[in-house]
Formats: sequence, structure tokens, C-alpha cells
Amino acid sequence: MTDFHYIGKETKRPAGPDKAAGKAHYIHDLVRPGMLFGKIKFSEHPHAHIKNIDISRAERLPGVKAVITAYNTPELRIGFLRDNFALKKDKVRQYRDEVAAVAATDPETAEEAIRLITVEYEPLPGIFSPHDALKDGAPLVHETDARGRARSDNVLPLRFHHESGDLEVGRSAASHSAEGEFSTPLVQQCCMGTAGCIAEFSMSNNLTIWAKTQIPFLAQRDFNRALSDMGLGGRNTRVIVPTLGGGFGSGLDTHTYEYIAILLAFQTGRPVKIVYTRDEEFAFLSPRQSTHTRIIQGCDSEGRLTFRHVEVLQDNGAYTSWGATYPSVMMLPATSLYRVPNVYFDSKLVYTNNTYCQAMRGYGNPELTWALESNMDELAGEAGIDPADFRMINCNEPGETTPMGLKVSTCGLKECLESVAEKLDWKKKHGKGKRRGVGMASLMHVGGSGRIYRSDASGLIIKLDDFGNANVYYGGIEMGQGLHTFLTQAVAEALGIRPENVIINPTDTGTCPWDVGTHASRGAFMAGNTAILAAEKLRRRIFEFAEELFPKEVAKNIKKLQKKDPDFKAPDFDVAAAAKRDRFELKDGFIFIKDAPAEGYMRVELGRLLRAIHFRNQGQMLTADVFYDPPNELPDFEKGYGNISATYAYGAQGAEVEVDTETGEVEIIRMAAAHDVGKVLNPQTLKGQIYGALAQGVGYALYEEIQSHEGRILNPDFRDYKIPGTLDMNFPIDLEFIETDDEYGPFGSKGVGEPGLVPTAPAIANAIYDAVGVRVHDLPITPEKILAALNKK
Amino acid sequence: MGRYNYYKPLSLDDALALHDKIPGALFIAGGTDVMVKIVNGDIEPSALISLRSIPELSGIKENGSTRIGSMTTISELIEHPKLHKRYPVLIEAARRHSGPQIRNVATIGGNLCNCSPCADTATPLLVLDAKVRLRSIEGSREIPIEEFFKGPGETCLSSSEILTDILLDPPQREARAVFMKKGRVHMDLATASVAVLLEMEKNTCRRARLAAGSVAPVPLRLSQVEELLEGNIISSELLDRAREISSETVSPITDIRATEEYRRRIVGIYVRRGIERLLKK
Ligand SMILES: Cc1cc2nc3c(=O)[nH]c(=O)nc-3n(C[C@H](O)[C@H](O)[C@H](O)COP(=O)(O)OP(=O)(O)OC[C@H]3O[C@@H](n4cnc5c(N)ncnc54)[C@H](O)[C@@H]3O)c2cc1C
Repeated sequence: MTDFHYIGKETKRPAGPDKAAGKAHYIHDLVRPGMLFGKIKFSEHPHAHIKNIDISRAERLPGVKAVITAYNTPELRIGFLRDNFALKKDKVRQYRDEVAAVAATDPETAEEAIRLITVEYEPLPGIFSPHDALKDGAPLVHETDARGRARSDNVLPLRFHHESGDLEVGRSAASHSAEGEFSTPLVQQCCMGTAGCIAEFSMSNNLTIWAKTQIPFLAQRDFNRALSDMGLGGRNTRVIVPTLGGGFGSGLDTHTYEYIAILLAFQTGRPVKIVYTRDEEFAFLSPRQSTHTRIIQGCDSEGRLTFRHVEVLQDNGAYTSWGATYPSVMMLPATSLYRVPNVYFDSKLVYTNNTYCQAMRGYGNPELTWALESNMDELAGEAGIDPADFRMINCNEPGETTPMGLKVSTCGLKECLESVAEKLDWKKKHGKGKRRGVGMASLMHVGGSGRIYRSDASGLIIKLDDFGNANVYYGGIEMGQGLHTFLTQAVAEALGIRPENVIINPTDTGTCPWDVGTHASRGAFMAGNTAILAAEKLRRRIFEFAEELFPKEVAKNIKKLQKKDPDFKAPDFDVAAAAKRDRFELKDGFIFIKDAPAEGYMRVELGRLLRAIHFRNQGQMLTADVFYDPPNELPDFEKGYGNISATYAYGAQGAEVEVDTETGEVEIIRMAAAHDVGKVLNPQTLKGQIYGALAQGVGYALYEEIQSHEGRILNPDFRDYKIPGTLDMNFPIDLEFIETDDEYGPFGSKGVGEPGLVPTAPAIANAIYDAVGVRVHDLPITPEKILAALNKK
Repeated sequence: MGRYNYYKPLSLDDALALHDKIPGALFIAGGTDVMVKIVNGDIEPSALISLRSIPELSGIKENGSTRIGSMTTISELIEHPKLHKRYPVLIEAARRHSGPQIRNVATIGGNLCNCSPCADTATPLLVLDAKVRLRSIEGSREIPIEEFFKGPGETCLSSSEILTDILLDPPQREARAVFMKKGRVHMDLATASVAVLLEMEKNTCRRARLAAGSVAPVPLRLSQVEELLEGNIISSELLDRAREISSETVSPITDIRATEEYRRRIVGIYVRRGIERLLKK
């Protein structure tokens, strides 16, 4: 598989020029005729009874078209466990609870109306840490579950558990062991484009919603359910996805603001737009969950892992999103990163009165890998083995089936570790101390989609027009990662046309086939596989028609040439006899017979052939639709078993750092990253994915944290919430891609959207330890934490 | 966000007259502090009076001493052909002020008048013994910059006064100065900052000026450290003492960016490192 035309090469981003020129339409740019602006009134308490909501003054404000609360609208239960409501009645459970909303003719009026709403509360004691939530007699965040049954504690009814082998056997076989507790903070996705939507009803009460989502079809299902709860059963939702300014997991759920826009649009009969400001985005959109992980690992005298014990406690916040299924991914590294025969994994999610959390890039993997890879270094230290060697001793290999039942088709982890060690000059630099140090960490992640839902499928339609263009309809989301760039390449490559003849249509549930969502690093994996299948279908049909029509078109070519040049003599080649479907080829938009003389007149442009197929009696136009569900399994999460992905991505990253022991500052001198990507599909977008993710990993390691006090977020803006900027990323990143040519991935590739940030933080922490001999156990590793650790030493 | 009128007077007198006439009016320069406060609902001015089109407030003039118009943007400071040679410490600080986009609109006058303890141009101007000229309807006055800062967010400007110029004496040949800033990331408001100016005669310190930002209600002169250094040979013990005194004399707070203890520590370290760096120059 080396003879690719477009795969493996840089291809222009289809939307690049429009984005650069400001012509791409983000939700912020969209306007509908008669559109109103919605605004939400959020709670002023983290936990309280609502005694009274006075909306009378807001209703009287000129320009206000609707003021809604839970008391004057149908109840809309939402969320993964349906424990959340679009608008809150009786009780608020977090600062961002929605108590009222308005729609007005302009944003300023909407804002003023919000200020005119007064709410009387009776404050309740709150819980702000998962440890407190588990204490006897802790106040209950939810008194009942979604079905109205009384709850007795704050633990979510979700079980993710795994036991394999015999932990006692593993413990007694261990000559060395290391135990550590690690925690991670709430962090924000920090999309440059904030969240927002426009909801609009037709006269027949069908809903159209322009939504910033990564799951248009699951969203359609959620919204249809809301319509039915609003008494509009049988009505339908059409979800249209505008240009997205980033997703990073924030679009994997439907959000309260969307339901509120729907309620306001229905009430007013006009389109209603709600877009979050940056402050609102920070304070009222769900961040990545915070976690506490306790991990113990042991190894024998040769350095072989004998057991691993992992317990995770997660602060879910007040309501439940899909993010609550993080442990479904945490299980992967916990059971399957490195070969370890005896494993115990358990996780607990608890309700608190903190902001509720959702998915973010890596989906639990960065959290678990932070603990696991830090602890690997601790254990290597106990065993007196070089951490790079220690990882090699336990390295995964192709062909193995892991304790979780993951079937490893290809695995380039060994090569990744070798690459990082070499790039960092590991042997020379490790263990020298003197405030300079090197560290590394590995990762594994789903690389062939990830089945956490009954269907893990994607559909794709290619409609060929009369001009040789392929119009593509695909439900996966371009959110800046370059999915449409790759989809363009994949269709061009698989079909045999030029990239400029591939047209990717807007994502719209009304026109695109179903897709479970753009998550789990599945974008390119699914887009590629569906594109290949659809292209094959079309090629088959094109070549069938060509048997009859191709010779006629070639004959026309020859006639034309003879007209120009009476002496022209066609070669002695029987086109009609050779025109058999398996002898045709389509490349760069031209059809030809593989073994025919390579003359221009022996080739027919695709558009011309398509017109010949179309414009005749009983003519045809060619469209292919495919639906692809990858060969993976929905694991039994209570047992922690099942091959969740068709293939797995591996990688390693390393850092060289210098620590200022007076100020506690960490300077990254350089980083190395090596990723098993199966096959490089597009070097530019791939580098973009890894550099971008690695920068997010650096932020996770050193800077980022949503700080809160008793549930109130204290740093809801970029002044106080710091992400690394270009000047903080001003160090060389030595990047290598390992191509393992995976059999399940399109063109041999694996998913790489998330892996780039998974091992970054532990690699940096391990380097800090190598430099100054202290380990910070809770992210982010701030100068003050380093100084405190140095003080204790 | 409330509604307000916007005025763009073309002369200083017009600006002052307008301000006198409209209660609740506020001057706006680059707006990078004003607009943030308005959007956050911290202030609700009835009107904004832009200083942007007033010729008297712009430009940098040099004839021995230097006069910087208050409406000079941070970018203009950086790009000026001579300033970086004459007052490198001011330009070092300007380069650490925000990022390119903000620097293109933010002004040096706004930076001072906003009176945040973390204003990056304040500490270099303190060690350069700068003066500021203020104008009101009654007339104009000139005061040392040190007296300009009164308390958190409070300058000695009356609400109807305009800062017109920043005045700098010709640079002393022997004087060397540095600016150091600690942020959580590179582009950040200072967690702590320090400017140090030394005039040395062989090993003896003839004159010292030190100032620290983000560690007191106002940008602060560290006069006790200056006294400690002046007239003395700068030994390692003296440096330790300078570090100690710096940490002790400041009065920082704990906030989202850092703890009080950390700020004290950084000021001490930066004072010591700043002096060391100058001695090496
Ligand atoms: C993203 C961002 C990053 C920033 N980073 C930094 C940083 O790194 N370092 C730093 O020091 N600051 C920083 N700031 C703060 C701000 O940019 C500076 O304080 C800037 O210099 C203010 O200048 P301005 O012209 O925008 O002032 P404005 O906002 O226009 O005015 C500030 C105040 O001064 C008054 N004022 C302005 N000019 C005059 C005058 N001539 N006479 C009387 N009163 C006047 C105004 O009425 C107002 O009260 C940052 C701001 C932002 C938004």
C-alpha cells in the first residue's frame, strides 16, 4: 500500500481560505429572519431551595418577548442519567443552574431583563469535594433518581470494574512495589468558538436547530424526545452544524442552553439564538472532570509487572453527562498499557454541588495515564531499573490479547519508546540531576473507533454530478481537526478523482446519513473506511456502464482527431473487446483501460462518461450510500471485558526540563513525541493534531486549572485561566510517526485525535523528578507546589 | 452592559471642558482596561471621552530629556528608534506588557492612570525617577511619579485631570537597569515584577533605585533596599540582606495568581538576581 496519489501528502483544507478571510460561518455569525436573542439567569447559590421567582419586571421590559421558568414551561428532563432539567424547579444544585431565561429583540435587552428577575432562595449545606460527598450523613445532592426512587447516598449508579488474574498472587510474586495517589483538576476545553445555537420552529412545529455539536444524530434523538415532552410527539428535529471553532469533547452532550433556546423559540414562534460569552463558557459549560486515583503496582526482580491495583474517585458535579463514562476509557490503560497479568480496577463517581462535568479530549485517559505513568517511574525507582528500560521490559506487542480482552492488531509502542529515548539522548542525560532532567511516558488509546454505544457506526453518501464531482454527505464533524481535509483526500484516493472535485457538504441530519458522533479519535478512521466502501461501490457501477459507453467515447475521440488530421491512425487495439469491468481504471478523474496504449484519446474524463450514463433513454445518475459499523465490541463494563476498538493507538512522549529551585519554575528545554499512527494520512494535519494536543498536555501539566470556592468558579476568563501560548511552547518538539500499517484502519491508519495529550503531563513530571528528585502528585505542577515538595525533601 | 455616549474631542481644552460638563464621564485612551471593566459591569460611566484625537497627547520628543506623550502606545515605545538605547529598562518592560494586539492600542498613560499595582511600565519609570505632567481646567502641574500612585486603583489625578506627559531626565552614563517579571505563563499580568537601577563606581554602589510591582497596593519603591546598597560594596552578604529586606518590606496579597508568601519570595529572588545581573554587565 505505498502507491497513493493523495494519501500521505499535504492537501489544502477545503475551508481554509474562507476561515482565513472571515467568510466561514460560525454560530456567532448566523442570523435568521426575525431572530430573538436568548439569555439565561443562573443560580446564585450552589445548593438551595427555590422559594420564589419574580419575573414580572422582566416581562414588562420593552423588547422582551418571553420570560420562561420551570413553572411556566413543560418539564424537560435531560442528561445521560436524566438527572438534569432544562430549567430548575424547587432546587438548585450548582451555581450554574438555570432558573429562568428570556428572549428579547437584542442581546442588551435580554441581559437587562435577566437582571430584573429576582429569585428567593433558601440556602442548603453543600458538598464541594468527592471525599465529603462519601461521608456518612453528607447532604444529598439528589434526593431521588430519574425514576423518582429515593437515593441514600451521592454515588452514581454507574459501575465500571475490572478484575483479572489473582491480585494476591501478583502481590506475592512482586519483589518491589510502589503506591501513589494522584489527582487532576477541572480543566476547560477552551474552544476559541464559544458554545451556542439557534432554534427555530416551522408552522408544523418541526424544529430546526443550528447547534455546536459533535453528535448531530444523538442530539436529534435527544431533541425529539424534548419535543415529545413538550407535547409535540411525532414532530421532528433537523440538526444543522455550522463551522465549529473547536470541540474537544464539549459537543458530546446536548446542553441545557439548547433546550432553553428550544423552549423560547416555541413560546415566541421566532428563531432564538443563545451564544455564550467567554465568561459564560468558563462558568456555565462543563469542564473535564477532576479525579483522584490511588494506584499500586508491583514487579518481580527482573522488572516484570506482576500486578496493578487502581481505584479512581471522580467528582461528577451536580448532574451527569456522557463524561461520566470516562472510566470506560480509563480501563484501557489500567488493564492494557504494558503487559500486566493481575489487575484490579474500580471507579466511583459521586455527585457534589460543583459544576457538572463533561467529556474532553482523551476522555479519562490523560487522567489515568497521569497516575499510571508517574507510578511506573516510582516503581522503576524502587526496583532500581532505568525507567526507559523498565518500560521496554513490559512493552506491549502486536498480536496479544490484553486482560480486558483488547485484541492488539498492530503495536508500535516499542519503536515509540526507542525513538523518544534516542531523541532525548536518554542514556547520557537520565539520572544526572543538577536541576536538569529527562522523563518519558507512554500511552495507548482506542485507534479504531470506540464502542461505548450500541451502534458505533457511520454512514456516508457520495452523489456524483454531471461534471465529475463527488458530493459527499457525512455526519462526522469538522471542528478544526481537519476531518474534511482527510475526507477529501480519502474520496479522491479511493474513487480516483482529484481533490478539487470532492465537495464536502455541510453536516445536516436532514441530508447526511447517521453517525454516532465525532469522538474517540474516530473521525478519520470512520470517514476513511466509509469513503473507501462508497468509492468501491461507485467504481463498480461506473465500470459496469463503461463496458458499453467507454468504447463509444473513445471512438468519438478518434473521430475528432481524424477530422483534424486525416493521416491520423488509431493504434491496433480493440477497445470494445478490452472494455471489461475488471480491466478499467479510474485515476485523477479519467477512466482508461489498464493495458491500453497510454494515449490521451484512450482516456475519458469521468464527467463525460457520467453525462453519457445520464443523458440517454432510461439514463442513470450514480449515488452510493454505505453504512459501516466497525468490528469491535461493546464491552461489559461491570466486568471490564470486551474489545472496545478495532485497533489501538500507541505512543510515547518525553521531556527535558530545567527546574529553578529558587522560584520553582519549570522550563521545558525540549520534547520528543513518537506516535504509532498506523499510516500518515496527511503530514500537516497530523502534525497539527499532535502539536496542538501536546500543547494542551503542557497546559494540563503546568498551568491549567479551574479554581473554585464552594462551587463558585473563581477564574472564568483567559486572564485568570492560563493556557500555554506560543511563547510558552517556544521549545523544539521532535516528532516521529511510526507506521504500523494496520489492517483495520483506512489506508493502514489509526485514530490520533486524542493521543497527543495523554502522556504529556507524566512525561514532564517524570523529567522534573529526574531533575530535582521531587514528585508533585496533583496537577497542575505549579512553582509553588514544586517549592513545597522541595521544602519537604 | 449599560449605554453611554462616546465623545472624541480634538483638543485638550475641549476634552477637559466636556468632562467638566458631563457628570459620570470617563476618559478613555486605548480602552484595554476601561472596556474590560465596562463589560464586566465593574463601572458604568455615563460617557466615554476619547483622548485619541488630541494632538498634544501623542508623540515622543527628545532634546536631552525626553517627553513621552501619554497617548503613546506600548508598541510605539518599543518601536521608537532611540528609546531602547536611552532607557532600555522601560523598553524591556514594554516588551513584557501583554501581547502584540493589546500593545498596539494600550497606552503608557492608561497603564499609569489605571493604577494597577501590576502596571508594567510603572516600575521602570519609578527607577528612572520619571515625572508626570497633569492638566486640568485650572492649569497644569508636574509631580514625581512616585507621588502619582496613591492606593489600589487610586492616583493623585483628580477625576477631571488628564495625564499629558511622562518626563524623563537624560540617562546617566553609568546607570544600568533591568526589569524582571514573573507570570504564570509568558503572557500574563505580573505575579511579581522588579526593576533595578544601579550606578556603580568600581565595586561601590553610588546610587540605587529599586521598584516592585504586584506586591503592594501600588507599584512600590523599595527605598530600604536602596539605602542598604548606596555607598556600599555589594557583597554576597549584602545581596542576601537585600533579598531579605525586599521580601519583608512588600505587602502582597494572596489571589488567584499566587500566594502572598510566593510573591514575597519572588521579589526577594528577583532583587538579588537583578542586582547580580547588573554587576555582570
Ligand atoms: C489581554 C490584556 C492583557 C494585558 N496585559 C497587561 C500586561 O501584561 N501588563 C500591564 O501592565 N497591563 C496589561 N493589561 C492592562 C492594560 O492593557 C494596560 O494597563 C494598558 O496600558 C492600559 O492602557 P489603555 O490606553 O488601554 O488605558 P484605558 O483602558 O483607556 O484607560 C485606563 C484608565 O486610565 C484612565 N486614563 C487613560 N489615559 C488617561 C490620561 N491620559 N489621563 C487621565 N486618565 C487616563 C482611564 O480613564 C481609565 O481609568 C492587559 C490588558 C488586557 C486586556
